[in-house]
Formats: sequence, structure tokens, C-alpha cells
Amino acid sequence: MWGDRDVLTLRNVCKSFRSDFLRRQIPVLKGITMTVGRGEIYGFLGVNGAGKTTTIKCILGLLTPDRGSIEMEGRPLDRQSRQRIGFLPENPYFYDYLSAREYLALVGALFSLPSRETACRTGELLAQVGLPEVGSLKLRKFSKGMTQRLGLAAALLGDPDLLILDEPFSGLDPIGRKEIRDLLLACRERGKTIFFSSHILQDMELMVDRIGIVHGGQTTREGKLADLISHSVQAIQIVFTGIPPDRIAEVAPGALERDEARELTVDDEAQLAEVLPRIMAAGGQIRSITPLKRTLEEIFLREVKA
Amino acid sequence: MASRPLRSSLLLGLAFSALAWAAFLQSRYDRRVDYFQDRDVFLSLPSSKTLKVLSFGLPHLTADLLYVWAIQFYATTQYRNRYDFLEPIFQRITDLSPQYLEAYLIGATIMVYEAQDVPMALRFLEKGSRQLPGEWRLDNDAGYYCFHMLKDFPRAEAYYLRASRNPGAPTFLRRLASHMYYLRGDPREAYATWLEIARQATDTLGRDSARNHLYQIKAEIDAATVRQAAQKFRDRTGRFPTGLDELHRRGYLTEVPRTFTGEEYTFDAKKGELVPPRVFRWKK
Amino acid sequence: MRRIIAIALNTYREAVRNRIFYLLVGFGFFFALSSRFISMVTVGDQARVLKDVGLGAIHFFSITLVIFTGINLIYQEIERRTLFNILSKPVSRSEFILGKFFGLALTAGLSLLAMAGVFLLFLTITTGRVETPLLLSFLLLYEELLIITALALLFSSFTTPILSFLFTVSLTLIGRVLWTYNEFRPLLRTPLVRGLCRAIYLLLPNLDKFNIQDAVVVGRPLSTPTVLLAMGYGAVYIIALLTLTLFLFRRRQF
Repeated sequence: MWGDRDVLTLRNVCKSFRSDFLRRQIPVLKGITMTVGRGEIYGFLGVNGAGKTTTIKCILGLLTPDRGSIEMEGRPLDRQSRQRIGFLPENPYFYDYLSAREYLALVGALFSLPSRETACRTGELLAQVGLPEVGSLKLRKFSKGMTQRLGLAAALLGDPDLLILDEPFSGLDPIGRKEIRDLLLACRERGKTIFFSSHILQDMELMVDRIGIVHGGQTTREGKLADLISHSVQAIQIVFTGIPPDRIAEVAPGALERDEARELTVDDEAQLAEVLPRIMAAGGQIRSITPLKRTLEEIFLREVKA
Repeated sequence: MASRPLRSSLLLGLAFSALAWAAFLQSRYDRRVDYFQDRDVFLSLPSSKTLKVLSFGLPHLTADLLYVWAIQFYATTQYRNRYDFLEPIFQRITDLSPQYLEAYLIGATIMVYEAQDVPMALRFLEKGSRQLPGEWRLDNDAGYYCFHMLKDFPRAEAYYLRASRNPGAPTFLRRLASHMYYLRGDPREAYATWLEIARQATDTLGRDSARNHLYQIKAEIDAATVRQAAQKFRDRTGRFPTGLDELHRRGYLTEVPRTFTGEEYTFDAKKGELVPPRVFRWKK
Repeated sequence: MRRIIAIALNTYREAVRNRIFYLLVGFGFFFALSSRFISMVTVGDQARVLKDVGLGAIHFFSITLVIFTGINLIYQEIERRTLFNILSKPVSRSEFILGKFFGLALTAGLSLLAMAGVFLLFLTITTGRVETPLLLSFLLLYEELLIITALALLFSSFTTPILSFLFTVSLTLIGRVLWTYNEFRPLLRTPLVRGLCRAIYLLLPNLDKFNIQDAVVVGRPLSTPTVLLAMGYGAVYIIALLTLTLFLFRRRQF
């Protein structure tokens, strides 16, 4: 079992590719530094082309970084590390002439699991991911969502401690998204660490513990989601009724009509303290006071445009 | 404006009728032009070495395919100058596969009967004998062509002899060789050979046919001897002898010759010759 | 070890599903029809032509099969990203390559077995004899196929499929005509050129030794030490190719 060390540590990972024709080096990763703690869900966020998939490939040993280090639980990556990792690629494609069971049997053999254990777990996992009936269906007949789910089952087959998923929600309908999300949350409950990349913010917001934003091959922000968002209360929104229209400009300048109430946005708590008594003195009734935090979207866009 | 389905059908119909016209015109053209008349074929074959390299390890197959093609080519086409290539083609076939017996035999057949070129065939069969030293059929065919086509009996005899020395050669080859001796005009050696054959013959047919030859040869030898002796007699005495006994008594013959089977000859005193005995014509 | 076998079996399955079946059927028909036809058309020994055409067809089809399957398989894996899937598992790159090789070897072996089986059956029906040199020639052909497989694997491990195809086909053809070196060797003048040519000659795969057509078709006798030497050469050459492939594949970036 792993200790309390960080599951995955990347330090200043750099990778360039050589363009074949001109022999120029094209840098793709220019310094990725991240830490994934045990038992957490880590979201790896970036636009297309920012280097997410390249980073994941480095973690999996498909690429060798030019500089920097990647460690799992304090030890450098090797083949044994991959025994503890479950990977779900983006747009997974499997050998489509195999059936679901056959494919999982193959994966089991590659993980050196005893075949009886593989057979057992196959049944369980297929049920868990919501594919209980498709054991003998050929993979070429699977829909996109089914393929995704099968990929997840394969990733879980070796009972990994670390799950790495590349764009796990892409191409799924909202129901599919929710199901995958629930599955991943259940995995976290069982003590697994989950690392996934995405460019869909809503999915991240709903489940991650920590976030790393990558842009232009570099990690630009990293931290707990709660921290990132709580430091950015942007404004406070007051919804109230009961002030006659001719007095709005005096009491609450800039208030907007919203259904049958008024809505006023102030910058901070100081202004709130100023406006609130005025409204109440004028006979208004406060419906709600809501601090508007920056959404993840806004944080992200700021990082990206910088 | 024609609607879409209609236009598609029209196009299709046009295509088919144009094709039909093309076919018709082609057949008219064919009727006017004879592809084989006055045409020379030009065959440029790569050298044997190149062919062997291009076979990429399968030279016998290439030889087979070339052979099969050659047979068809020489059997069916009407090109004027096709025999110009006969020797080169078969040389290549036998360079690729030097032990290809059929190629030698059938090639020689085509050379003799169709190209009417016996020396070419003999050269070719010689090559075969070098490559297949134990194969009597090559020399047998060569001997036959010499005998039958060229009337070159000494050469035929050499071939038949060589053929007969191969293990597994049938016994009639020796008969053939001897027959060549005979035709060459040297009956004594033929006689000796047939005697040998008769002695070694393992079956009645062999022995009897040898004896037939021996009978005939002896008769001719004896006829020549007697004629010579009778002439001398007449020169001395001015007349022919009355019989063989007189020739013998007078010392012109060392002995009275008898037929091979031990019977007496009949002497024709008027002509001074032996009456030709029953002759067994040797047939193949 | 189990991982290698798993990959090998999977490779075999994929190969069989795609092309072998059709090529086999195609071969079967082609062979049956054409050799029958050709042997009817010949004057003389039909069995010889039957053997030649049959062997030639088996050579051609099995080599083609091996080249296309070998190159395609790796290419497909990369194209379809199943390669990433496999390599992200605790499988070493060496195990992957070896698994691929054995899978292809299995494919080649089974298809050769089937083709040779059909051919021998045909031959026995027509001529009533089966000769040992013929069986030995299939064994040697198999070894030749393994060399070509290793070549295809080597090239497809580091270059594009088109180049892999060109290199593999070229080396196969060169390998079959390399014997001509002995013919033009006397023509080489300078020691440098002689040495260079000899080095090239020794290093390139010399496939002529696996061809015992003379013994099969014409009946020339075989010498056991020569045959054993040939088989040893093949084994060693295959090992060399595989080792080179492992070296190159381990460093490849995906």
C-alpha cells in the first residue's frame, strides 16, 4: 500500500518534438510542474493543444521528457508503476473484432492477473460501469458512450491506485457524463486517486479537489478548487422589492429589473454596507444577498488570455 | 428539361449504345485487317542469366512457363519468322533448368519437323546428353534423325551405340546400332554385333529378331564372297562353275558357305551368283 | 511470458480476421485452376509442372502475405492508437515486439501449413507420391518467411508503412539474387571495393540457401550439413533482426 506521499509529482517536465522536414525542435511542454495527492481528484485543465495529452503520455512512458522528472510515490517511473495505473485514453479505440469479455481478458493478461480473477472482476466491472449485458457483444458494435464505459472498466481491471483519464467526458451526453462522474466519485470513495484532463469546465467544477491549469506547455496555476474560487469574490448581488420606480435612482442607482424585483450588483462588502440600509430605510424588502464568485470559466479565461 | 431520373437513363443508354457501336466498328476493322498476315514477330528475350536472376529463386518454374508458352507459340501462330527464335528460346529454357528432358526432346522434335533444321536439333540434343548423361532417349532421337532425315549412317550408329551403353537402355538400341553398321556397308561388324546381341538376348523376340538379321547379313556376305570367287573362276576358265563344290574343290573358296541356319545355298550357274535366299526384312 | 503470449494470440487473431482467409481462398483457387490448366497444356511430365507452379504460387503468396500483414499490423496499431492502449499497460516494449513477432510467426506458420496441405493433397491425388525434399523445402520456406517477418517488423518499428514496404520488398528480392555476387566477384579490382562488397554480401539476408528447388524438382541429392548450416544461419539472422528491432523500438517516442 502506498503511504501518504504524493502519488504523482512532476517537476519542470519539458518535451520538444522534432519536425521531420526542417529538423527544428518544436517545444510542446515547457515546464510542467504538478503534484497529485493521495485520494484526491485532480483536474488538468487546458485548451486543445496546450499539452495535456503530451503530459499524460510522459507519465505513461509513451514519451520520454527531455528535462524534468516524474515520480510516482517518490520513485521514478518504470514498468512497475504502470501496474498500479489505470489509463483511459481520449477516443479510445480497441480491437473491434473482440467482444467485451475477450478484450478485458486480454487486459487482464497484460496485467498478469490470474485468469479466474479476471473473469470474476469482468462481470463485476461491467455491471459497475453500466454494461451488464454486453459481455459477448463485439466492440465494433459499441456506441461512443459504451466504449467509454468499457474503457473505464478496463482501466479499473487491475484495481489501480491511480486512474489517469484523458478527456473522459468528451462526446458524452449529459446522462453519460453524470454516470461517469458518479463512477469516478465512487472510485475516490474507495481510496483511488484520480487524475483527468479536460477542457470542459462544468465537469471539473462539479468534482475536482485540485486543479492544474496548463497553457502553452506550462502550468500556470495550481491549487485547490475551493481556494482558487474563494479568493475571487467578484461582486455581491442584491435582489429586493418594494421600492417604487421613481425612488430607485436615488436609493439604488443602477439596479436592474428582474421579473418583478430589482437586482443591484455592488463591488464589495463596503458598498454593500452602504446600500443595504438605504434600501431598508426606503421600505424595501431584501429577497437575497448573493456573493458572486468568479466561475472557473472566468479564472481559466484569465489565465489563458494572459 | 428532363427530370433527373430520365437524364440518368438517357446517359446510360447513350453510353451503352456508344459501346455497342465501338464493338461493331472493331469487328469491321478486324475483317479488313489480318493480324497475322505479313507480320514479323519480334521477340527480345533477356539473356539466360538475366532470366535466372529475375526468377528470384524459382528458375525451374520460369523454365516450365517458358516451355509451355513456347509449345503453344509454335503450335498455333502464323508469324512468318518464328523459327528464328526457336533455338534461343529453348536454349534459355534449358539454361534455366538444365535437366529438363521434355524440353530437349520436344524442342528437337519441333526443330526437325517444323523448322526442318536437323543440325539445330542435333546440337540441342547434344547439350541434353551432356546435362543428362544417363538418359538414352536423347541419343536415341538423335540417332533416329541422323538415320532417317540425314541418311548419315555413321553418325547414327555412333548415337545409337552411345545410347545403348546407358543403364536402363532398351535392348533394341543395340539392334539399331548394328543396323547402322549394316547400312554403312560393313556387314562383318554388323554380323559380329548381331551375334553378340543374339547371345545376350533375354527373350525370344530379341533372339529371333537378331537371328533374322544374322541370316540376312550372312547371306549377303556369302553372296559377295561367292560372286567374287565365281568371277575369278570365269576369268581363268572362261565359264562359270557348275556349283559351289567345284569352286571349293578348285580352291577358289576356302569352304562351302551355308546359310546361317545351316542350309545349302542355291547357286545360279548362269549368273555365277547365289540365288538370293529368303530375306527377312527387318522392320521397326 | 504470459504477456507475450497474450499479445501474440491477439496479433494472430487480428491477422487472421483480415486477410489470410481471403488470400488462402484465393491461393487455393488460383493454384487448383492454374496448375491444372498449365499441366494439361504441357507436353511431357505433368507432375513436374504441377510441382513447379504449386511451389511457386506458395512461395509468392506466403511471402506477400507475410509482408503485408507484418507491415500493416504495426501501422494499424499506431494509426488506431491501440498501441498507446497496450503500451500504457505494464508491458515492456520488448514484450510487445516479441509478442507481435510470435503472433505473425504463428499466422505465417498456420497459413503455410494450410497451403502446403492443400498442395500436397493435390499432388498425392494426381501423382501418388510425396517426396521428402518437398517437405523439407516447406520447412526452409518457413524459415525464410520468418526472416522476412522480422524484416517487416524491423522497418515498421521506425518508419512509415510505405517505406517499410519498399525496404522489406527490396531486401527480399535482393536476398534472393544475392548469389550473383559470386559471379561478379572476380570483376572487382580494388581491395577496398572488394572488401566493401563482401561486407555487404555477408550482412544482407542471403535467401538463396533456403531454396532447394533443384532437389525437389530435379532430384539432386541434398547434403545434410549444408541444410543444417542454412537453418542455423536463418535462426541467427532472425535473432539479429529482432534484437535490432527491440533496440530501435525501445527508444521510439509515441
